[in-house]
Amino acid sequence: MAIQVSGITKRFNDFTALDSVDLEVRSGELLALLGPSGSGKTTLLRIMAGLESPDAGGLLLNGEEALGLKPRDRQVGFVFQHYALFRHMTVFDNVAFGLKVRPRGQRPSSAEIRRRVTELLDLVQLSPFAGRYPAQLSGGQRQRVALARALAIEPKVLLLDEPFGALDAKVRKELRRWLRKLHEDIHVTSVFVTHDQEEALELADRVVVMNQGRIEQIGSPAEVYDHPASAFVYEFLGQVNRLDCTVEGGIAHIGDGALAIATDGGVQGRAVAYVRPHDLGVTPAVGGPARISGIHVVGPDARIDIDLAGLALEAEMDRERLATLGIVAGDRCAVHIDRARVFAR
Amino acid sequence: MVAAGSDAVPAGRESAVTVRASLPLFRKPSVLPGFGLTLGFTVSYLSIIVLVPLAALIVKSSGLGWSGFWTAVTTPRVLAAFQVSFGLSFAAALTNAIFGLLVTWVLVRYDFPGKRLVDALVDLPFALPTAVAGIALSALYAPNGWLGKPLNELFGMKVAFTPLGIAIALTFIGLPFVVRTVQPILQDLPPEEEEAAASLGASRLQIFGGIILPAILPALVTGFALSFARGIGEYGSVIFIAGNMPGLTEILPLLIVIKLEQYDYAGAAAVGTAMLAVSFVMLLILNLLQQWMRSRHAR
Repeated sequence: MAIQVSGITKRFNDFTALDSVDLEVRSGELLALLGPSGSGKTTLLRIMAGLESPDAGGLLLNGEEALGLKPRDRQVGFVFQHYALFRHMTVFDNVAFGLKVRPRGQRPSSAEIRRRVTELLDLVQLSPFAGRYPAQLSGGQRQRVALARALAIEPKVLLLDEPFGALDAKVRKELRRWLRKLHEDIHVTSVFVTHDQEEALELADRVVVMNQGRIEQIGSPAEVYDHPASAFVYEFLGQVNRLDCTVEGGIAHIGDGALAIATDGGVQGRAVAYVRPHDLGVTPAVGGPARISGIHVVGPDARIDIDLAGLALEAEMDRERLATLGIVAGDRCAVHIDRARVFAR
Repeated sequence: MVAAGSDAVPAGRESAVTVRASLPLFRKPSVLPGFGLTLGFTVSYLSIIVLVPLAALIVKSSGLGWSGFWTAVTTPRVLAAFQVSFGLSFAAALTNAIFGLLVTWVLVRYDFPGKRLVDALVDLPFALPTAVAGIALSALYAPNGWLGKPLNELFGMKVAFTPLGIAIALTFIGLPFVVRTVQPILQDLPPEEEEAAASLGASRLQIFGGIILPAILPALVTGFALSFARGIGEYGSVIFIAGNMPGLTEILPLLIVIKLEQYDYAGAAAVGTAMLAVSFVMLLILNLLQQWMRSRHAR
């Protein structure tokens, strides 16, 4: 394994940022730390880089105890949300910085530095901008410079703190694909922090979902999306209908018995059922129990607001299906649940 | 100069239109109104407050004629005073740049009990009447003073009534300039740049020299320039500690006062004009240096 975190705890005054966190990052993988703000994900990343020191716990980098090491001795590349480029240096000098500051014995010759920086700028597709200053670049370009700068020291681990957080939606998507491809090419163990579930699910080999200083679930993107381990993960990953229900003998009754679903777990009594909008089926039915209160078309999909005996539900389907059903706002309909997860309350 | 003032007085849309027509070179489309009015005000204000007195000084000294002026400012006594004033102001400004930066660093980077008190102390040289500072310093550093006595007995150092004393007085009055110009810049420096440098393998010294210093250097030069300029013009705090020996510890402002007391108004004006010229050139060079450094930041 590349990184092993064991029992890391960090408090800021009386706020517990990390509460005894254990985590293993496998060599060569791209791992996402996903969570809302204040969940401790950035603190965990900064502890790995040595920019923050934990109150308790241990950290191994490539099997070696790392907590005693200064950031400069950890061989970790760190990419900041707001780039943190050196403003008074050109793009070239920014990327060369990590090589130029090495002690005399380990410092490559200036010709070698030039060759490596040029190579890295090619890799991030910024060779024509070598002589520019950071202020003269766009956000996406700056973040690529920051990445090249971090890669210049040939880090054992690459840590990225909300790397696309400050970019607009289109650039973010492009850069995301590009980073995925880059990771497939160079295979450096990477950990990135994000609060964007789509980003985590698309980019990462494994996703770590964090909440209030604890890890809620670790798994592949498909695992955490399809089989959320907790109510929090269910709510945090994607849209979800949260329905109060009562479970009796394996059957959950929702909305005073308007809907009933079979549950798999051993939950009894008052509970909450989580239903994804695309797992909620709608069929037109004259005199049905539910009413369509609104239809919103978003790109290729349609979002349908349903009123089931005072209970607001949200369903999602593609527009073709919507056209086949031929429903409009105000129609009566019947709803059925294809899949749900019930958690005790 | 006065004509410029009367030009600028009319306000409203019509005058803005005429200015737009007469100043096509400076005119850039802008959402901020009032370019004509504010420029006019600035020029007339600067004229009345700064340029008119300075012009009067030059006019007064021109009564001597070129050769008379030259003789007045190149006597050995005046030249020596030039050396004392500019040399020691430079030394004091340099001292302030180094130690003022250190003070700023401690005030910005660390938390300690009484920090606000220390922060307020920095401004005292601004507020204190300079003569009070001068008397206090000379009493302290005099051969029988609290500091002067041990310094003299242990190291054989004489401070009061020597150039060193002048330098100390100038350092005292110039310190706030460096601290107050560098402080906001150092405060706003994003910690991420330093963290990035640290994770890239830079040592503390490399981070300071390569990341922090380039960012605060323009402000540091400004502080240096202000401290230097203040030192050249300083009178009150210096005359008590200087000893005022002609050719050795006599500063230019004192020499001017001496000339005035001898009713040599033209001579005093000539020395003042020469001082003004040298100061102006030096401050101009410092300003250009700053501009060059800022342009390298490209921001």
